[in-house]
Amino acid sequence: MATWGGAGRRLKFFGQFTHYLIGYATWLPPLIWFNTSVAQITFISGPSMYPFLNAEYNESRRQDLCLVYKLYARKDLAHGMLVTFRNPDDPYKITVKRVVGLDGDVVRTRAPYPYEYVQVPEGHVWVEGDGDRSKDSNYYGPISARLITGKITHILSPWKRAGRVKWWEHPERPGVQKARA
Amino acid sequence: MPPFRISAFGQLFRRFASTGAGSVGRQGGASGGGGGGGGGGREARDSIFLHRPLRLIIFTAKYLAFTHLFLEYGFWPSPASGPSMLPTFEVMGEWVLVSKWHRLGRGVSVGDVVAYNIPINDEVGVKRVIGLPGDYVLVNSPESASDAMIQVPQGHCWVIGDNLPASRDSRLFGPVPLALIRGKIIARAKPNWDFQWVRNPLRSPDQPSDA
Repeated sequence: MATWGGAGRRLKFFGQFTHYLIGYATWLPPLIWFNTSVAQITFISGPSMYPFLNAEYNESRRQDLCLVYKLYARKDLAHGMLVTFRNPDDPYKITVKRVVGLDGDVVRTRAPYPYEYVQVPEGHVWVEGDGDRSKDSNYYGPISARLITGKITHILSPWKRAGRVKWWEHPERPGVQKARA
Repeated sequence: MPPFRISAFGQLFRRFASTGAGSVGRQGGASGGGGGGGGGGREARDSIFLHRPLRLIIFTAKYLAFTHLFLEYGFWPSPASGPSMLPTFEVMGEWVLVSKWHRLGRGVSVGDVVAYNIPINDEVGVKRVIGLPGDYVLVNSPESASDAMIQVPQGHCWVIGDNLPASRDSRLFGPVPLALIRGKIIARAKPNWDFQWVRNPLRSPDQPSDA
């Protein structure tokens, strides 16, 4: 026993180590489920929602930290909401934009879009960024509502702008003929 | 009487059921004292959920989350019905196995059968991929009034049912974003439970065909 004491202790250590490791690993599936279907905290990159998000993007490299609420993401969509969706051009990219038109609405489009007016088709939404440098529905057209993964409900990180996202107080975009009130 | 031993599966089960890694050891220590009464003592050690509703809830949540993870990123068996894929899949009673490795269109090629979220409603469709980004496809059915073609845009694909007259597909709602692809169908079970792999029928010219 004396000669094998060190090895035995080491074995016991590894046994306990794997024991604890497996014990904590069983919490991974609930964690992943929570992050993909309930809520997630994420950094916003890029100026497309300037000045609402990343208001200091031309002054510092700091990015806004936001809370994305993902439960029932496609329910109760309204004009002005901030939504996250999988980019129709790149399935691995998640994009943040503001909902401008819901299905049935007639939207007056902006620069790169080939037609002046567009009626948003069934099951689709028209999304636009607040900033001028935004690649949005004016580039790739109305997006399917099924691409939407969540809504941005809170800003967490620059402390002075932290708090609930009051999308209903945001001025309406002109040139949208709503199909429903 | 020899001490009752828990099987390896039982230990894994027990670990899954514990609230944290630390509580496993404490649990074993607590129940180790009561050795009398044969069956009663065995039950007290064996049943980790008895008188522990919180532990039962946590175990159920972990188990459900693990199942969800497997179905979302592993394999997803699902019943399939409808006439739109007729010579390939029957109208009723089909089961398909979806490989979620191919979610978001990863590794999908022309000729594969995919399950995808229909962009204009809340249902899931099963169709064949006809075109990938950059490919030119017919907008309407072949031999119809119009021979117009479009180039499939970046990040999209063109999906068509095998049964052209009874299929609502990209001819109706246009190119489908690859982000809406739930996975590739790799196997099927026919109504009489005959299992078959679903293979891409397109081959390169140097490969001999099955038929």
